[in-house]
Amino acid sequence: MSLPTTFQGYPRPTGRPGTRNRLVILSMCGLNGPGARKINAALTGAALISSPYGRGQLGADEAFHHHMLSAFGMHPNTGAALILAADAAMRMGLQTRIETAGRPVSGFSLQEAGEDSDRLVSAAIEAGRRLQGDLDRDKRVPCAIGNLVLAVECGHSDASSGIAANPLVGDLADTLVAAGGAVAISETMEWMGTEPSLYARCATPAVAARLKRLVKARHDIARQSGHDLRIGNPGPQNHAGGITTLEEKSLGAVSKGGTSPIVAALAEGEAISGPGLHLMDTPTLSPESISSMVAGGAQLVIFTTGHGNPYGSAISPTLKLTANPDTARRLPQQIDFDASPAFSGVVSRAELLPALANLVVDTCGGRYTAAERLDECQEVISRLGPSI
Amino acid sequence: MTISAVRIHPDDNVVCLLRDHDSGARPKLGDMTTPSLNSAVPMGHKVALVAIEAGAAVVKYGAVIGHATRAIAPGDHVHLHNLEGAPP
Repeated sequence: MSLPTTFQGYPRPTGRPGTRNRLVILSMCGLNGPGARKINAALTGAALISSPYGRGQLGADEAFHHHMLSAFGMHPNTGAALILAADAAMRMGLQTRIETAGRPVSGFSLQEAGEDSDRLVSAAIEAGRRLQGDLDRDKRVPCAIGNLVLAVECGHSDASSGIAANPLVGDLADTLVAAGGAVAISETMEWMGTEPSLYARCATPAVAARLKRLVKARHDIARQSGHDLRIGNPGPQNHAGGITTLEEKSLGAVSKGGTSPIVAALAEGEAISGPGLHLMDTPTLSPESISSMVAGGAQLVIFTTGHGNPYGSAISPTLKLTANPDTARRLPQQIDFDASPAFSGVVSRAELLPALANLVVDTCGGRYTAAERLDECQEVISRLGPSI
Repeated sequence: MTISAVRIHPDDNVVCLLRDHDSGARPKLGDMTTPSLNSAVPMGHKVALVAIEAGAAVVKYGAVIGHATRAIAPGDHVHLHNLEGAPP
């Protein structure tokens, strides 16, 4: 099985093409949140990314906050950005970075609006409508499939995830890598117990060494808080479902990334710069994990679930896939791809792959995902430390 | 007849059952059948496709998920009683 060779995307002046052409509202500070919600409500189809923080952040945490906002502003799926900030300096920093990437930007700050949120909201809505008008004139063109960066995620997993859903997505990941594309998987704690097999799959000793450092640092955070997640894991529910060892549980999660060599070990939100399979060190919560891979450049997300999970990225279309027949029946409005025939034994995994590949290419070309239709999308920026 | 077991990776020496099976049943694996089961085995659980010696690797997802704590015969249920992962 090979993928279609192109998808209909939006070319960008720099970097990879987009699967969407969104107006992204970047609300940089908790002070801007209420106004940002009104602006977003007035701009149909805009994607709101709202940070509840933005003051008193320090060191790595502050750098990460700004890195993530810039990454969203310069993302392939971002056609234009609307910046909302507390003051002029905060606004200008981000605006300059996004303009450098060749994206149209309009920026506003409470300070420059005389601390009058109503005034800021009116001006930003007007600017947003102008930007959206320009975006609507852009046209999709055929883009080589090798330009695609796919992020894969699993959440609320069950026996169907490890046996059918994740291996199926892994097959797709392998075909995308074979076509020159990139794949990212994340959630460091999910690799627990199978790290040696991951180190062995790294393309170079340097990649393995970096992966080891990232894994150790994440586990140190847990240990410093008095947690050792290896004890009692897998638990009684896993055992009842047929999972015997921690290695097996983790391999079931990791299988959604496919079997390619690991070409890079990335820090949270770091750019996915080349082709191949990437591992990104992230926290366990799906929103933080997905947002980090999207900030890294993923233009499409596939999210496998056992029991269901409504969440999607605000920037990158997020396809929901289940192999649990009850979930597929119970949540037809949430599930984009029903892989349950492979879990029920009606068809083999290989027989489902062409349909999944077609859905991927169609979604890259503009077909809405369930999460987009349901408007269950946002981005979450991790905190790396306390504020002062 | 529908498929009732999957071998997730071609290197695996165990298969996963897609439904509950009674002792003596022969789960269907694509175009081949597995050895007949030496005990009843529930859905999602593993069955040995070949003999696995005590101390040998049990392979699923094409990777080692642990080692046999005793000799495993083809058709044996593979779980906590005969498979152990690396210590935490």
